[in-house]
Amino acid sequence: MRIGVYVCHCGGNISEVVDIKEVVSFAGKLPDVVVARDNEHMCSEIGQQMVINNISEHKLDGVVIAACSPQFHEETFRQVVSKAGLNPYMFEMANIREHCSWVHASEPKIATEKAKELVAMAVAKLKLNEPLVKKSISLGNRVLIIGGGIAGIQAALDLADSGFHVYLVEKEPSIGGHMAQLSRTFPTEDCSACILAPKMADVAAHPNITLYAYSEVKNVRGYLGNYEVTIVKKPRYVNMDKCIACGICAEKCPVKVIDVNDFEAGLIPRKAIYIPHEFAVPHKYVIDEKNCLYFTKGVCRVCEKFCPHKAIEFDQKSVEETLKVDTIIVATGYEIFDARKKEMYGYGRFENVLTALQMERIIVNIVKGNPPRDIGKRIAFIQCVGSRDEQIDRLNCSRVCCMYAIKLSQLLKRMNPEREVCVFYIDIRAYGKGFEEYYLRAQETGVRFIRGRVAEIYEKPDKKLVLRVEDTLTGDPYEMEFDTVELSVGMVPGEGTNKVAELLKIPKSPDGFLQEAHPKFRPVDTLTDGIFICGCAQGPKDIPDTVAQASAAAARAIRLMNKKKYEIEPTKAMVIENLCDGCGICVEHCAAGAIEISGGVAKVIEALCRGCGRCVAYCPREAIVVRHYTPSQILAEIEAALSNKQKGESRVLVFADYTCTYRLADSVGTSRMPYTASARIIRVPSGALVTPQLMLKAFELGADAILIGECEQKSSPFLNSVECISDNVERVRKVLKEKGIEPERVKYAEFVTVMLSRFVKEVNSLSELTSRLGEIPAEKRKALSTAKA
Amino acid sequence: MKTLYACIQCGTCSGSCPAGRYTNLRTRLIVRNIQLGLRENVLGSDDLWACTTCYTCQERCPRNIMITDIVRVARNIAFEEGHAKKPHLYVAHMFINTGHSIKFADEHRKLRESVNVSSVPPTVLSYPEAMEEISKLTELSGFKKKVLEREG
Ligand SMILES: Cc1cc2nc3c(=O)[nH]c(=O)nc-3n(C[C@H](O)[C@H](O)[C@H](O)COP(=O)(O)OP(=O)(O)OC[C@H]3O[C@@H](n4cnc5c(N)ncnc54)[C@H](O)[C@@H]3O)c2cc1C
Ligand code: SF4
Ligand code: SF4
Repeated sequence: MRIGVYVCHCGGNISEVVDIKEVVSFAGKLPDVVVARDNEHMCSEIGQQMVINNISEHKLDGVVIAACSPQFHEETFRQVVSKAGLNPYMFEMANIREHCSWVHASEPKIATEKAKELVAMAVAKLKLNEPLVKKSISLGNRVLIIGGGIAGIQAALDLADSGFHVYLVEKEPSIGGHMAQLSRTFPTEDCSACILAPKMADVAAHPNITLYAYSEVKNVRGYLGNYEVTIVKKPRYVNMDKCIACGICAEKCPVKVIDVNDFEAGLIPRKAIYIPHEFAVPHKYVIDEKNCLYFTKGVCRVCEKFCPHKAIEFDQKSVEETLKVDTIIVATGYEIFDARKKEMYGYGRFENVLTALQMERIIVNIVKGNPPRDIGKRIAFIQCVGSRDEQIDRLNCSRVCCMYAIKLSQLLKRMNPEREVCVFYIDIRAYGKGFEEYYLRAQETGVRFIRGRVAEIYEKPDKKLVLRVEDTLTGDPYEMEFDTVELSVGMVPGEGTNKVAELLKIPKSPDGFLQEAHPKFRPVDTLTDGIFICGCAQGPKDIPDTVAQASAAAARAIRLMNKKKYEIEPTKAMVIENLCDGCGICVEHCAAGAIEISGGVAKVIEALCRGCGRCVAYCPREAIVVRHYTPSQILAEIEAALSNKQKGESRVLVFADYTCTYRLADSVGTSRMPYTASARIIRVPSGALVTPQLMLKAFELGADAILIGECEQKSSPFLNSVECISDNVERVRKVLKEKGIEPERVKYAEFVTVMLSRFVKEVNSLSELTSRLGEIPAEKRKALSTAKA
Repeated sequence: MKTLYACIQCGTCSGSCPAGRYTNLRTRLIVRNIQLGLRENVLGSDDLWACTTCYTCQERCPRNIMITDIVRVARNIAFEEGHAKKPHLYVAHMFINTGHSIKFADEHRKLRESVNVSSVPPTVLSYPEAMEEISKLTELSGFKKKVLEREG
């Protein structure tokens, strides 16, 4: 190879500590290095031009720049070498500023030696680099949206209006989700159905939306730009083209069904053939086979007899359809908490204990002049049922219950001022725009707010309910009697969300809702490019927040698809096919679902691969590597870091993931916080790439301690990398122990970029440990050459 | 003990408390006072002794606070620090001396006979030799010493 090495003074930042001349002359003597130069500012016009000229003059095929952190100028220099016709991956940086001159300022001699070694490491790695090219996938304009609540509806309309084609899949017979069931919406008290129904109608009429109601996604294969989706259309037993929703069938149907999961929340019976509600989309009837007499007992078929349009088709079967889409939005929403789990409130046992959704329906039906039951004069609301409660493992706040209770309670009070309405709460969370004002209005309306979480309810023989509660503000316990009790139930992730999470491999946060890629900057992305989330599937929220997220998800999908093509980073996993025996262990360990076995060997789907390297750590045949960070490339750096180790010196190898630990080490440099000069930091995408075999090899070659620094899992772009690293470290420790070497010489730590002193402490303590334990005897190191972890 | 710092003062405990319905015991306030480090409010108060240790609050607390266990710890501390109540000491004495915490009276005997069980219960009253064991136990466990120390 013909390599050029360029050492930067950084206007004194480096040269005031490191002897630049010595580093240049050292570099010039390294095998394959044909030019070694220095410059006041390598990143300047002059510095850049020197590299470009040298590449052609000296026919260089690789370049090393020893300067600041790659965080700042890697991209700059990649472009520089590309300009001169080199592949951008035939370039390496040695970080002799943040990781050397700034942290060893008081030891110029040692710093110079270390700088030389850092250059040698970069050269060694570069020799094994290969030209890499970014592949690109072409993107079309087709989007799958799963879930037809307000989130799915909003995203669908935004995308369709922007010229994209949407396939909207809803598992229920009608779209609309929970919003369709609500009375009015806080804090403005718009009639929920009135503002939702036109949007639902727009979905039905939009030429760019294909609606699959009463359908589910059965399978998803592929990746961004290339998804193949299998949809199952459940049989409605009603011909969609023929049915005009006249309702004669339901009039004649003899079966009455009461189901709390229905639109009317089990308060008003429907028939076995039904339409969910008056503004359902699609506006077609459906037969509920669980209750239909024909399906349960083989008799009846009255609907078929009376339908004037011959729309009933008892022989319909479920139909599968395959779609090709480019991106996917998940909008599967929430389910309400099953209040039966809080036995102390007697829901399901006491007939006058209702859920919030039931109260919504009662209010709607009272307004319609058709109250489904008498709720009496004294009504209590109990807050935080299924939220903020560790007894049932739901610690999170559901964010809407305070506000809907404030809404429902004052609607009830205003409808009939003689009603006594009490809200029992722990805290009132009125955090949104217009919320506190709305709370005040409820108080002024005469709703009584009592601060205390209800301890239990018992039912009297006359079905009245007695609540036991402490008013925590007076400190007195009370027993209070009510006619009706509403439970302000929280939101939980539903079956539908869980299923989709599994299908699409979307991780969940501790509260069970879908996990976004980054809580601040990527709130609607997932870690898989091309898959987005929005609405209550991501976590409890109200309608305005849901709609904002839905529009955001649409915009994020448009941002990808508008480019028409998507470039894949080339630093992804690659199978060495002649070593692979198709055992499938990598498939099991890849959290991204990026590997499949085909034709007897593993194949990587590069668009899904995140390049984390879990597969590398677990492959028993060393048949899979991550490009640009292969075991041999990492080993070359290790060797170079150890080859110049003098008697009495020690080496602490620090493998730093580039999202957190490497940046953290940079910040330590920027803050001029000194640490042991025995540390050699090696940059990797994830610590998982440092396989047990590599660690053992490092000890064999002279390493005294190893620290694997990885991003704290929740900030990491990789799934489960920490688990893999801890596994790797354990495997190495076991071997060390067997060979009589202290296992504590290897450890891992989770970092975030602000843990400056923690980083220094970890590195220093390993260095102190090595001086305490002393040099590892040569024969013990040697014994590692045959060891397998 | 540490769990009590998670308390959100919701009042589920006091609302659930059967003793609090008839006494001034406010379980929530015990937790609050400990949180604030107001020792005397807890240790010196009669309310601490009203708890029946039924564990209902502990079972219902939404923050999984070991409330009842904490009350018991607080009682131990209160006792050590000389907050033992006269009636408690009386009961303890009875137990140390007779193996029973209350006196077996005629009315008890009558009650037992009326439901057709042996007129004297199968305790030290029927097996006087067991008193020796009880003495040994109260001695070994340090119970006797502690009670006698408090007599003052
Ligand atoms: C009692 C109550 C009162 C409320 N009042 C208000 C209010 O006044 N104002 C306000 O702003 N907010 C209110 N909210 C909150 C509001 O309901 C939500 O913000 C909103 O409904 C969230 O919409 P979504 O589309 O994310 O979820 P959802 O409404 O739950 O819609 C999700 C949809 O996805 C479908 N689905 C689920 N899984 C699948 C699957 N696997 N395949 C296909 N389809 C699937 C579901 O059938 C459903 O149609 C209230 C909530 C409750 C519980
Ligand atoms: S590198 Fe990570 S994401 Fe890529 S195939 Fe291997 S395990 Fe999967
Ligand atoms: S029930 Fe638990 S959280 Fe609520 S006041 Fe009592 S101790 Fe605190």
